[in-house]
Amino acid sequence: MTDDHIWRPRASFATLRARARMMQATREFFRARGVLEVDVPVLQGGANLDRGVESFRVETAAGPRFLPTSPEHPLKRLVAAGSGPVWALAPAFRRGESGLRHRPEFRMLEWYRPGWDDGALSEECVELLAALTGLAPKVERVSWREAFARHAGLDPVTADDAALRAALGEHGATPQGRDEALDLLLALRIEPALGCGQWTILTDYPATAAAQARVRMDAQGQLIAARFEIYRNGLELANGYHELTDASVLRKRLEHERLLRSDATQLLHDERFAAAMHEGLGDCAGVAVGFDRVLMIALDRTDIAETMAFPHEQA
Amino acid sequence: MDTSELKNGVKVLFDGAPWVVLNVDFVKPGKGQAFYKIRVTNLLTRNTLEKTLRSGEKIEQADVSDVDMEYLYAEGQGYVFMDIANYEQVTIRPEVLGNNKDFLLENMACTVTIWNGDAIAVRLPNTVTLQVVYTEPAIKGDTQSRVLKPAKLQTGGEVPVPIFIEIGEKILVNTQTREYAGRVK
Repeated sequence: MTDDHIWRPRASFATLRARARMMQATREFFRARGVLEVDVPVLQGGANLDRGVESFRVETAAGPRFLPTSPEHPLKRLVAAGSGPVWALAPAFRRGESGLRHRPEFRMLEWYRPGWDDGALSEECVELLAALTGLAPKVERVSWREAFARHAGLDPVTADDAALRAALGEHGATPQGRDEALDLLLALRIEPALGCGQWTILTDYPATAAAQARVRMDAQGQLIAARFEIYRNGLELANGYHELTDASVLRKRLEHERLLRSDATQLLHDERFAAAMHEGLGDCAGVAVGFDRVLMIALDRTDIAETMAFPHEQA
Repeated sequence: MDTSELKNGVKVLFDGAPWVVLNVDFVKPGKGQAFYKIRVTNLLTRNTLEKTLRSGEKIEQADVSDVDMEYLYAEGQGYVFMDIANYEQVTIRPEVLGNNKDFLLENMACTVTIWNGDAIAVRLPNTVTLQVVYTEPAIKGDTQSRVLKPAKLQTGGEVPVPIFIEIGEKILVNTQTREYAGRVK
């Protein structure tokens, strides 16, 4: 008698049916809004270079290929080619990410809206999340700075390093540097408090937190990025940007990011993506949604693996 | 060991003491280093707290193991147990037993936690059948009553029992909650 854990699916059939309904609802949402569904490759010619995200490298007869950490590159190439709004529900892969809310392989729902800004796209994203989960589209918009004030009791811009370290004390963390301290406070203290009974849209991130977003100056003279994240029940579901289109600025920022990586020599630039960006993305906003996590919210699950037929360890 | 190997039940060494991991949470702040937020209990002090480690950080595993042992008898220095696998005997100090000594019965199969060669904790089986050696006379007929009275057991421990229980009766005791768990015929 073989061990059931080896071959049987992890998600229940009821969950799989709910997942299929959610995919159907996603299709219908975008069809009704004139956003084109596209299919994108997984053996990418170059790696995504987002800081803190590691790619799987695959050796092929055509040389090394890289599994996408999100469908961003092919979707942006389509937009640069004049496709108009496009969406994809695609496999995404992130090496070393495993936990209650992470698996090395998951599904990313991502779309781009030429001519839109981050504000408008964040609203559409909430509409989608409400449609997929059946939860009301009740929303609160909170700036990054205000979220710290509300949930960590300090001003992330003016608080000194000692105050940040003290705030992290109860989590037994010893951050290396201010940026890490702020990241940790956000992840350990603030995020779990967001999205309680409503969708929380976190906005106005500091410019350093978003390499590919446009930046602007806020009322307090701080450089902020046109970036947003959407939370429900402490779970980060979406990450969106008003995309930077100045190709030379983008190239400089991306090269800066690549050099910061310890695995810089293992990765190849996605030259075809870079060429598309050089051609010009045009004014657009894009957002990536963790599809499996949306199902977690809809079904009130705590482990992302429960939403998958065959999570990584059982694939 | 590496942070990716952390999971519930793993024993680690922090500040020279052994801790058991109760809970592991992988945390990925927006753009950067990943972290592991863990809840750990100190196996010596039973203190529980939270620690946040950087992904990839090296952690020392604590040399802690749970050994099946049989309780033999009590003597001056402590309580003598025998390793069921190799018949080796060890005397465990009363402080390590704590109030578990109230329910220790000859030949009882226990789990002893050993760290660096020292016994640091003893876990009794969840329930044990013990005889009541003294209690106030039973009030007959009232088997529905929830009123309890103290009863002294053959091992020296005392638990509250229903008022219908008599001296000489055998009862089931929950060693973890220290409560009466039923009559034994």
